[in-house]
Amino acid sequence: MIVVVGSRHDAVSSMLVERWPHAALCSAEDLVRPGWVWHHARPGQRTWIIDARPVRDEDVTGIFIRRSSVYAEEMLTTHPADRAFLASECHAFLTFILATTSARVVNPVSDGAFGEEALRPERWTTAASETGIAVRPVRVTSQARRRRGLRTTEVEVVGGEVFGELPARVLDRVRSMAERLRMVWGTLLFDARHRLINVTAMRPPSDAAAVSLGRFLTVGHT
Amino acid sequence: MILVWATQHDAPAERVLAALAARGVETCQIDEYALKTLRYDLVFAQSPEGWIEAAGRRLAIEDVRGIYLRPGEPVADDARIAATVLIALASGLQGVVVNRPAAGRSNASKPYQLDLLAQAGFLVPDTLVTTDPSAARAFLRRHGRLVYKSLSGIRSIVSTLDESDEARLDNARTGPVQLQAYVRGLDLRVHVVGERWFACCVRSEAADYRYAGAAGATAQLSEFDLPEQVGRRLLALVREMGLLVAGVDLRQTPEGSWVCFEVNPSPGFPWYEDATGHQIAEAIADLLVS
Repeated sequence: MIVVVGSRHDAVSSMLVERWPHAALCSAEDLVRPGWVWHHARPGQRTWIIDARPVRDEDVTGIFIRRSSVYAEEMLTTHPADRAFLASECHAFLTFILATTSARVVNPVSDGAFGEEALRPERWTTAASETGIAVRPVRVTSQARRRRGLRTTEVEVVGGEVFGELPARVLDRVRSMAERLRMVWGTLLFDARHRLINVTAMRPPSDAAAVSLGRFLTVGHT
Repeated sequence: MILVWATQHDAPAERVLAALAARGVETCQIDEYALKTLRYDLVFAQSPEGWIEAAGRRLAIEDVRGIYLRPGEPVADDARIAATVLIALASGLQGVVVNRPAAGRSNASKPYQLDLLAQAGFLVPDTLVTTDPSAARAFLRRHGRLVYKSLSGIRSIVSTLDESDEARLDNARTGPVQLQAYVRGLDLRVHVVGERWFACCVRSEAADYRYAGAAGATAQLSEFDLPEQVGRRLLALVREMGLLVAGVDLRQTPEGSWVCFEVNPSPGFPWYEDATGHQIAEAIADLLVS
C-alpha cells in the first residue's frame, strides 16, 4: 500500500491517490483518530490510521509526503484553545512515524524535518557546490525592489532517474547532488545560465515522474 | 561582533552577554521587539553577505563572528518574516553559531530524538505513542508505572501514571500521547559546551523536578562527578547532532546504568549554574569568541 501524507484540501494529494494503485491519503484528521499504536522498540507493533482505517506498518510499502507541517487550523474537532498545542503534538508524532516506519519514505526525514522543510537551502546549496552545480545567489531585502521575471528550466529527480532538458553533464551532477541529499524526489529550477535557483518537493510530479514514483513506492520496505 | 538573538530579560542570554562584555567583545542583541523593525539586505550564496539593521544600528555581516540564539515566539507577522531571515543567516553564517537552527530541530519531536539517542547506543526508556486506549492500558499493565509527557518541544509538566490511573487512558483517543516506562534513579542534567561538560545531579521526590515547588516537593541540586567515559560519550553524541551547546537529561539507575531522555539544544542553564557554581555562561562566551 502507498500512503500519501497530505491534506484533503490538496488537489495533488488526491490526484496521486487516484493515480497510484492501492494508495490512500493519511490526513491531519487521521492523526487524531483513535487506533494509532507506535511502539519505539517493537516495529511489529505499529499501526497507522489511514483514511479512518487501521493499517499495519508492515503493509505499507511507500510513503509520499505532501506536507511540511501539521497546522492548528486542521484540528477542527478540537477546542480552538487547544488546536495549536495539538497540532504541534501531531507534527512531532508524524516526524517520529516518518523517521521510524519500515516503508520507503519520499523524501526521508532530515534533521527532524520532513516535506519541504527537509530540503532547506543550506542543505542543497552545499550539496550543489560539492557536485559542481553553480547556485544563483539569492537577495533578501526589507527594501522595496522591482522583481525581474526569470526564464527557468525544471528538472525532476525520482530515485536515480532525472527528467529534464539540460545538458547531460548538468543532469549527471543533479543525480550526484540528489544522492548526497538522500533526495528521492524533487524538482530543481535552473536559470538560463544553468545556475540552480531552487529545489522543491512540492511541485506536482509530471506524468513520467509520477509513474516512476509509483513504481518506487510499491517496491517494498527499506 | 557577536549577535545575540534572544527575548528581553532572557536569563541565559543576559549571562552570556555579561560574560562577553567582560571579555571586551562587542555584542548586539536582537529581541522580539527589535525584530519588528529589523531591516536587512542580504545576499545568500556560499555564505551570507550584506547587512542587517536592528534598533537603528547597522551591522555588516562580515563583522559578525558568531551568533547566540534563544529566540522566543515572534510577536507579530512582520517579526515572523524577520525571524525567518535571521534563521537563514544563522544557518549559513561562517562562524560560531550556538546552535544552528537545523541542529536543534530534533528536540521538536521527543520520540524522534529518543530514536536518535538509541541509535547512538544510549539506553532509552521503553516508549509508546498511541491514540489507542487499549494499547495504552496494556503498556501500563506491562510496566506498572509510566511517565506521561508531551511529544513536541512545547514545554509540559512530566507526570506519572500508575494502575489507579487506568481509566484516564481513555483520553488517549482524542490525540497522540507519549507514554514511557518509569525509570528509577538519580536525575542528572549535563550541560555540554564545546569540548567541556558540566554535570549536576538533582534529588527530588517530584516527577518533574523543575516544578517540584508546585508539587509540594523540593529539588536539591549539586555538582556531580560524571565518569569520564560517560562524559566522552555525551560529547560525541552532542557533536554528532551538530550542536555546540546542549543540556542532556539522564538518569543513573540503582544498577548503575545510564538512561538518556532528552537533549535540549537551548538549555536554560542559570538555575543549575547558581546551584553548582558551574561557569556555563563563561564557557559559552569562550566558545563564541573562539
